[in-house]
Amino acid sequence: MNVISVDGLSKSYGKGTTQVNALQDVSFQVNQGEFVAVVGASGSGKSTLLHLLGGLDKPSGGYVHIDGENLYAFKEKERAVFRRRKIGFIFQSYNLIPVLNVEENIQLPLLLDHRQPDKAYINDLIRTLGLHERRKHLPSELSGGQQQRVAIGRALAYRPAIILADEPTGNLDSANGREVIELLKLSVRQYHQTVIIITHDMNIAAEADRVLHLQDGRLQSDTRSLGRGV
Amino acid sequence: MRSYGAMAGKYLKQQRKRTILTIVGIVLSVALISALGTMGQTLKDNLIQNTKYQDGAFYFGYDEPTPELYDSLRKHVLVDQLGYYRAGEPRPLDNSVDVTIAEADGDALQLFPIHLYKGRLPAAPDELAVEQWILERLPGSPGLNGSTQLTGPGGEPRDYRIVGILNNDKISQVNGDSLAFTLADPANMRIDAEAILLLTLKSGVDISDQIDDFTKLNSSLFTNNTLLAYMGESGDDNLNTALAVIFGTLIGLVVLSTVAVIYNAFHIAVLERVRQFGLLRTLGATPAQIRNLVLREATVLSTIGVPVGLLVGWFGLWCALWLMTQVGLKILMMETFELTFHWWIFAGSFAIGYVSVYLAAWLPARKASSVSPVDAAKGAGGIVRETYRRARIPSLLSLAGVEGRMASNNIRRNRTKFRITTFSIVISIMLFIVFHYFTQQMLTMTTTTNEADRIAFGLTRAAVADESGNAPAPGELIPDELVEEIGALPGVENVYGVYPSITFPSLVPETKLNGDIRTDTSVNYEKTNVGGVENNQVWTRIVIYDEAGLQQAAKYLHSGTTDPGKLAEADNVLLIQTIKPVLNNGKRKIMDLARYKVGDKISVWTNSGTPGEEPNIREVTVAGILTESPFDSPYQGSMLTIISAQTTFAKLLDEAAGEYPPSEYNAERRGLEIALQDGADAEPIRTKLQDIARSHPGSSLNDYAEHQKETRNFNLQMRIFVYGFLVVIGVIGSLNIVNTVQTNLLLRRREIGLLQAVGMTMGQIRKMATSEGVWFGVIGSFWGILLGVLMSSFLHKQLNNVQGFPFQFPWGASLIACAAALIVGLISVQGPLRKMEKANLLEELREEA
Repeated sequence: MNVISVDGLSKSYGKGTTQVNALQDVSFQVNQGEFVAVVGASGSGKSTLLHLLGGLDKPSGGYVHIDGENLYAFKEKERAVFRRRKIGFIFQSYNLIPVLNVEENIQLPLLLDHRQPDKAYINDLIRTLGLHERRKHLPSELSGGQQQRVAIGRALAYRPAIILADEPTGNLDSANGREVIELLKLSVRQYHQTVIIITHDMNIAAEADRVLHLQDGRLQSDTRSLGRGV
Repeated sequence: MRSYGAMAGKYLKQQRKRTILTIVGIVLSVALISALGTMGQTLKDNLIQNTKYQDGAFYFGYDEPTPELYDSLRKHVLVDQLGYYRAGEPRPLDNSVDVTIAEADGDALQLFPIHLYKGRLPAAPDELAVEQWILERLPGSPGLNGSTQLTGPGGEPRDYRIVGILNNDKISQVNGDSLAFTLADPANMRIDAEAILLLTLKSGVDISDQIDDFTKLNSSLFTNNTLLAYMGESGDDNLNTALAVIFGTLIGLVVLSTVAVIYNAFHIAVLERVRQFGLLRTLGATPAQIRNLVLREATVLSTIGVPVGLLVGWFGLWCALWLMTQVGLKILMMETFELTFHWWIFAGSFAIGYVSVYLAAWLPARKASSVSPVDAAKGAGGIVRETYRRARIPSLLSLAGVEGRMASNNIRRNRTKFRITTFSIVISIMLFIVFHYFTQQMLTMTTTTNEADRIAFGLTRAAVADESGNAPAPGELIPDELVEEIGALPGVENVYGVYPSITFPSLVPETKLNGDIRTDTSVNYEKTNVGGVENNQVWTRIVIYDEAGLQQAAKYLHSGTTDPGKLAEADNVLLIQTIKPVLNNGKRKIMDLARYKVGDKISVWTNSGTPGEEPNIREVTVAGILTESPFDSPYQGSMLTIISAQTTFAKLLDEAAGEYPPSEYNAERRGLEIALQDGADAEPIRTKLQDIARSHPGSSLNDYAEHQKETRNFNLQMRIFVYGFLVVIGVIGSLNIVNTVQTNLLLRRREIGLLQAVGMTMGQIRKMATSEGVWFGVIGSFWGILLGVLMSSFLHKQLNNVQGFPFQFPWGASLIACAAALIVGLISVQGPLRKMEKANLLEELREEA
């Protein structure tokens, strides 16, 4: 079943001679439960694609359908609500809220929706992430790997259908990076979530069900790993 | 955490320094507005009280009433108090003074300016309140509660009991006619053209609206102008409008600066967190939720800051005034001086504080909610999009080396921050200049402060023969030893000689006369042709100052010298050419009559009073020009004033022997005026002077000590207000600058750490920050002075509707404000810089932006 459907997606910045086409006519579909890696050189349009999939930016052309809903037909506010319910983001630089502790950072998407968090689930999540001892710590008191685990926890808190991760291991050493990927894979298995991950690391890409290769804003190839996928 | 909204509180708690800076901004602003409101209101109350004391508490009156008018006023629903007052004929006493008995009913005794010194006001038609000085001259020289027989208001002899002693009035002593008060007999009240009715209206009645209706009842209505003007109820709409515009402008300015300070504090705090708000957007926060978060912070901050600000404002003011009265003015007994509490000022400050915070929060909140989540997600570094503008003209700062160039780039890189910082300095400077200008003008308008203020006693002596039949010669009336003796009394500040004065026409050429006099006033100087040259004949008062007088005159010197030695030689004189004529529109205006300069010669026509004679012209040389008269009233209406030494005066007198016979006129001292130090005890001096007067036949002592003390006290109170105002404005303005500059710097700690990391020394950073501070100071000063002066000139236009005077560029205030802004700016960067110097470089770099 298609959970993401991208059709003729384009994004350009600037005008006239200074116009940069970050993304040109990209189309693909992603099924539920797929673990997709997006690879490509710097400036190939990976992050732009991820931002457009998450409804953070507006495309210059084309469509993004998530769960059958046209993401860009929503109004600003509706898109924000849609995002917090359906999409979880993980960034290379963690982007945690510095004044909130581990637990609060993880619960934040639920609180934004005026919902009381499911204590058992959150506790389970924190334990799974190995953050139980540090649940009351502020981000500044955590290591990079721990901070990224909090970011993953936050992305999983709402049990979103889709997790978008922008080089989540970019700032981590290989052991911590490995751990993060295992957690993401676990969430695909455990909660049947769809994960799209941007990476430079071909080892990570090799573990994905599918690899989308972008070059100069175009989708160069769409490779399914042998023996994996749906 | 129960809801995302709790994040606001967490932000504030974690970012303690930023929160405190913001709260300090709010506290300062609310303190400013409540302190200024309280001071303004107290000032107004004080002026009203003083006017009631000086001119009476009535709103208006009728000086030719009829019995019908009295009846209709008694029944009038709007009338609160209605007083009847009727002065009798002056009745001569034996010793060449008159006493006039006025009858007044209970209301009139309250409404009329009667200044009780001892005892009480009369409560029966046979009771009397009299001035202190006349007491011993009344038949039987009664004391308080003594009896005397006088001619009553109706002309019948009557026994009176003295129940009250009134303060001495200067004019009544000079004229030798004293006013005494008795209670009118209700059965014998004679309401005729000799009587006066005095009224107040019930509270809440719009007085200015009613004046026309009351004039219709009887056209002899007169108003208590000054009181009504201070109450904002003048019959002159122009005056009411002018006052409303003036106070509206001042309040507007203060409100504007309040909003600016709060906006400034809040805006910077929000601006620096825009990325965090962007992050929330990536998590699915709606713009409304972000706005809510910022407004929630605003609520918390204002809930702390506004009440604290109110307290700080009130107690700060209280402490400042207490200190001023304790330290500087302890000698003065300021019993009447107290702050008045007005709930509306607190409510107003409260409302303005809250509204300002929300206003200040609303714009940044909108900005925060509209921040692009993509930018936030991209993370590191440029959180706030900084629109670096390439300068068209290279900045002067570039001359200060690489640090200067960095400073110049820093200033230009963020337009909003630049504007906020500059605006905050501009508003501080402008506020100071405008308030300085306004308060100084207020002082000039409400107080006449010259050396005459300190004169408490006057001693004059006529050449009367003593028991042995010897009359003193003119030069011996007041011997020098007597002057020295009085001058040595404790509490005496100065003793000035009183000399005769004469008035001659001066011949002022057209080129020296200010043409505005002809166009703006009805003053018209007669043209005189002497020796084939046509000149304007301007009346000129010539007076003598002794050395003590000339010493005081130096304070009023515009140009030239007041050196007694210089004035004694070669017909040198001092000139006062500034006058205050009545303009064609009925207002008074201070302006120059002539345009003489030091060294110019003035032709005095000494025999104009004897027609047919060949004109006798004598030239005197202007050695110095004074801005106003140090004694007497500061300005003449249409005359020049020449101050000369005794020798020059004697020479002029010689020339005018025809008009001023030497048998009656001379240049000798005939009296003394005694000025007291502030807070001096007048009683021993009074006793001593009374002794002197008794032992020198022909002497008479005038006693204005009480009145002088009151005037002096009022003037000092006004000064306290004015300087209190300026201190408050200065402190708040400075703190505003400190807050802005320090916030700006503290929020750039990480960046400065980065600069250190790439090899900038702390010295270089200091130079960079200092250059920025100086540059902000220069730009702020430029706009501050420009706007301040424009605003002052606008206020001057409005004040001109009240009383005319020339606009003077507020140089002093401008310079003080700019120098203070620069110094405060420079000092305030030092603290944060020192802190950064001590801090760990890595910590700074690691700190989340």
